[in-house]
Amino acid sequence: VTLSVAPQRWRAGGPDDVASGRGSTRALVPVSAGELPHPSPASLRGLDWFVFFVANVQTGFGPFVSVYLTSMAWTQVDIGIVLSLGGLVSLFGQMPGGAIVDAVHSERFAAAVAVALVGLSALGFALWPFYVAVLGASVLHAAASCVLGPAMAAISLGLVGHGGLSDRLGRNARFAAIGNGLAAAAMGAVGYWISNRAVFVVTAVLLVPALIALAFVRPGEVDPERAHGGQAERPPERPLAKLRPSDRLWPLLIFSASFMLFQLANSALLPLMGSVLTMRSGRWASVLIAAAIVVPQLFVALISPWVGRRAQSWGRRPLLLLGFAVLPIRGVLFAVIHDPNVLVVVQLLDGISAAVFGVLVPLVIADVTRGTGHFNLALGIAGTAIGVGASVSTTLAGWVTDHFGSSTAFLVLAAIAATGLACIALLMPETRPADAPAPPERGGAAVAKT
Amino acid sequence: VAAAVAALMIVAATMAADARRHRHSQPAPQPVAPAGPAAAIAAVPPPEPAPPPRAEAGKAGAVAITFDVQNVQAVLGKDVRSSTDEDMGRLVDVVVDRAGQPRAAVIDFGGFLGVGSRKIAVDWTALNFARGAAKGIITVEFTRDQVKAAPEFKEGSPVVVLGALGGQQAQQPPPQSPPQSQDK
Repeated sequence: VTLSVAPQRWRAGGPDDVASGRGSTRALVPVSAGELPHPSPASLRGLDWFVFFVANVQTGFGPFVSVYLTSMAWTQVDIGIVLSLGGLVSLFGQMPGGAIVDAVHSERFAAAVAVALVGLSALGFALWPFYVAVLGASVLHAAASCVLGPAMAAISLGLVGHGGLSDRLGRNARFAAIGNGLAAAAMGAVGYWISNRAVFVVTAVLLVPALIALAFVRPGEVDPERAHGGQAERPPERPLAKLRPSDRLWPLLIFSASFMLFQLANSALLPLMGSVLTMRSGRWASVLIAAAIVVPQLFVALISPWVGRRAQSWGRRPLLLLGFAVLPIRGVLFAVIHDPNVLVVVQLLDGISAAVFGVLVPLVIADVTRGTGHFNLALGIAGTAIGVGASVSTTLAGWVTDHFGSSTAFLVLAAIAATGLACIALLMPETRPADAPAPPERGGAAVAKT
Repeated sequence: VAAAVAALMIVAATMAADARRHRHSQPAPQPVAPAGPAAAIAAVPPPEPAPPPRAEAGKAGAVAITFDVQNVQAVLGKDVRSSTDEDMGRLVDVVVDRAGQPRAAVIDFGGFLGVGSRKIAVDWTALNFARGAAKGIITVEFTRDQVKAAPEFKEGSPVVVLGALGGQQAQQPPPQSPPQSQDK
């Protein structure tokens, strides 16, 4: 079976290849050369667990770093510097990270190195809680994560190809969500009963099963050509040349901008809601916040395979609209509801958005970069936009809360989310390839179950 | 000669720095310039339990003072618990007045894995450093339900301090510019 993507690719690559004078023959080489990917069950299961353990490892970082350093008698100023530096690196490292993954020939190796470095930085946090060491560990973690994210997406695409990607991403999102939820619960318990330091020791130890799981992914089945979203090529004469044609760049820009608005609204919602819970429900606040973190993850685990299947049968747009529509509703509900227990129930809605986010970000990027060899770079571009939204979000919400109260802050975030929804509704084209019709329901499920 | 002069200057500067540092620890603290938030965390012993420290006269006017570990402790990052043994968070900063007297402790309160925690200021006199000292714990005379609604502590904005019931703050000498305080 030859996937009929050649005309599309020709159109995309044509003008630039003529300009460069040497690419035109390359453009005639069929992308998938008739071979459909046949990933073995061992590889697919290896990827499942790799995604799971990576989610475990990543849970200890984030807001918990601040708790840990506080317990190590760090001043708030120093903690702020460490977090800001890590944030900056993870923002500006997204695109280089994606480009690195596009350039390597073994996504598996890149992922192994990245996850090892993340584990190492956790060990650094645990063993040497001194200024320079922690600063270094924080930078190392941020940089490694910039490679790790795209590398996992690339392994997925390299294993199953564009045809099976939506199912695969649904499965990835399920295992990531289970990993996040379990790790948050377990690390909360470790931090409470043992010590905050032990959390980072556990994090570092989880590196071992992550690497073992990755070893089950057979290297021969991860086609680097597929993993980069198209033909394997020498470094392009003009970087981004293949991304430039407007039929690809426009959806990528709209998509990135919409998800920037999404994260601008979304990132601050949970912390803000958590601090409202702390304010309203003294004794049970920590338990409620734990529930607000863990339970939506279980919900994501439940529905993301469904999201992956529907992305193929319904197309991307309906699901994007669903994920974006839930967000302003959640913001408004947070603003008007005062019962702490009901707030936690509303937080369940986050599961819908998170499942859509987890599956459709890599999926749509794979759609628009098909045949360019720049899948991971484009992931990095979208990741940077999303990261900007996320980092501004907390500051914005904090400022609004200080001046106008938390209800206003929730409403402002809801308004931003509504703008993102409008962006998707009015400007975002459907990106499901026309040449990939909905696979039969059974077939899709079978791939997911292997 | 130049080297000798330079060496002398370094010695003098070091001694001056030592003298500055130890002035905090002397029984009758003198007004000092307002210190930055990080510097304010220096081990200023609470004024009430003041066992006579052993002072040894230094050679050139600097005084070295030794405290027993039973009598003093560093407080940054210590666990704070309520009198009913609820987890109240950690002490992350100390608010001092212009005389260098501690007025409030900033506690990072609540949350799970760092999500949803809030920094609140509680009156310094509401803290008890003796009760849990052996376990490295500071106790506070509030419960979680009492402090949950306290406004967030922000550097640069007026500090709202949760005071102990019974107006214990009156025992503090009125400083030049008292931090705005408010009883629960």
